[in-house]
Amino acid sequence: MLQRLQLIQPTTIAEASAALADLGEGAKIYAGGAELLLLLRNGLLETETLVDVKKIDRLHRITMDTNAIRVGACVSHQELASHPLIRQHAPALAYAESHLANVRVRNQGTLGGNLAFNDPHSDPGTVLLVHDAAVVLGSSQGERKLPLADFFVDMYATALQPSELLVEVEVPFLPSGMKSGYQRLHRYQRPTLGVAAAVRMNSGAVEEARLAVGCVGPKSLRLTDLEAKIKGATIDGAKSIISEEKSKLRELIRPVDDLLGSADYKLYMTTVMLGDVLGEAVEKALS
Amino acid sequence: MFLPPPRGKVRIGARAGEEIVGARSNKMNSQSRFNLSVSVNGTTWSGEVPIEETLLEFLRNRIHFTGTKRSCESAVCGACTVLVDNHTVSSCNYLAFEANGKFVLTIEGVARGDKLDPLQEAFIRNIGAQCGYCTPGQIMAAKGLLLENPNPTREQIAEWLSGNICRCGAYGAIAQSILEAAQAQSHPKG
Repeated sequence: MLQRLQLIQPTTIAEASAALADLGEGAKIYAGGAELLLLLRNGLLETETLVDVKKIDRLHRITMDTNAIRVGACVSHQELASHPLIRQHAPALAYAESHLANVRVRNQGTLGGNLAFNDPHSDPGTVLLVHDAAVVLGSSQGERKLPLADFFVDMYATALQPSELLVEVEVPFLPSGMKSGYQRLHRYQRPTLGVAAAVRMNSGAVEEARLAVGCVGPKSLRLTDLEAKIKGATIDGAKSIISEEKSKLRELIRPVDDLLGSADYKLYMTTVMLGDVLGEAVEKALS
Repeated sequence: MFLPPPRGKVRIGARAGEEIVGARSNKMNSQSRFNLSVSVNGTTWSGEVPIEETLLEFLRNRIHFTGTKRSCESAVCGACTVLVDNHTVSSCNYLAFEANGKFVLTIEGVARGDKLDPLQEAFIRNIGAQCGYCTPGQIMAAKGLLLENPNPTREQIAEWLSGNICRCGAYGAIAQSILEAAQAQSHPKG
């Protein structure tokens, strides 16, 4: 049984922020509850009040402007997986969302909740990094925008301030000619490893590439140094560069031993699957 | 004491003199109980529930629909699967108040009177249940699948049902049952 809880259902960002400021540690933001209720049940978190942000209309919107799709924080994984704008402009994100956990979690869990919880064993953050996604954080003081890479601070830690909430995720379109992919390795519903790539080719060589990895270390990361190194390489050349960079990758992504596998295994699979997902993106870019 | 669920519109959980609205925050009122009105298998239930009550606790303990099973309590195994507005959810990890104004379908509401659902018939025919504990969840998950995709392939069934665990390992018979139920639904006899 869950601990006794109180509920507040604000209808504006300012109201939600005021409630969070007022209640401090005694309140938690509640969206889908897919992660929060598990923590409460297992005694990993205590709270008195749920600040239910689902009554704030703006948090449910998916809109498009000239250079990005904006996804409200309370949009569910299932809505994202099947949304025509996401399938057209961010197909790797749609793929990741359609493979997250199980269909029940996808129906209940929200993109904002997932990113704000920042569990390292998760899918959406990694693929959003290759889109150069940003988050909009709101409070009674106004709004600020932050690159997603800066929003992820450490495992289960984000740049969200105590009276702030995640309002929307800005998913920029990939540059023209660039195609993307996402692949995951999983034995259980939470992935062991997630890799994302986006690439534009020119005369059989990588002209521009974006690579990201998640799940193996404390947080999802863009691999900008590696992206620069594979520039100008063929896909086979890029794959061997990736495997040669294994020791540098170990320092950067800090893989950990856990029930999902040893750090060595995860690092090895990271190099293999980065090559695979890059290959997938190259194939799409060339077709 | 377990009583059979009453039929028609009833009021549940209300206790005389109980305070619904507290005042933890001076900006907004917080509440410890929720005035819930929900349709369960076509019957409307209304009354107060504590905020922390899960839909599973509501179904099993409050209104005594015990067909929905408690198992992992982590939204992983699928034994507690029900449909809320035709979408599958893990009732163990879903607060009852969220079902306010919605339509909940549980295993008890799948048959039409004495007429079993094609899924139930196919599960019986194929021995899709061994110990049977996961079966209500399997059938509700399958129900959700067939609502979304009336003619799934075996692969699509496997993918969708990957979140419903059967410790007896009846997966082959479960998948076969769902395939046959889909066929029966698209080509009903007589």
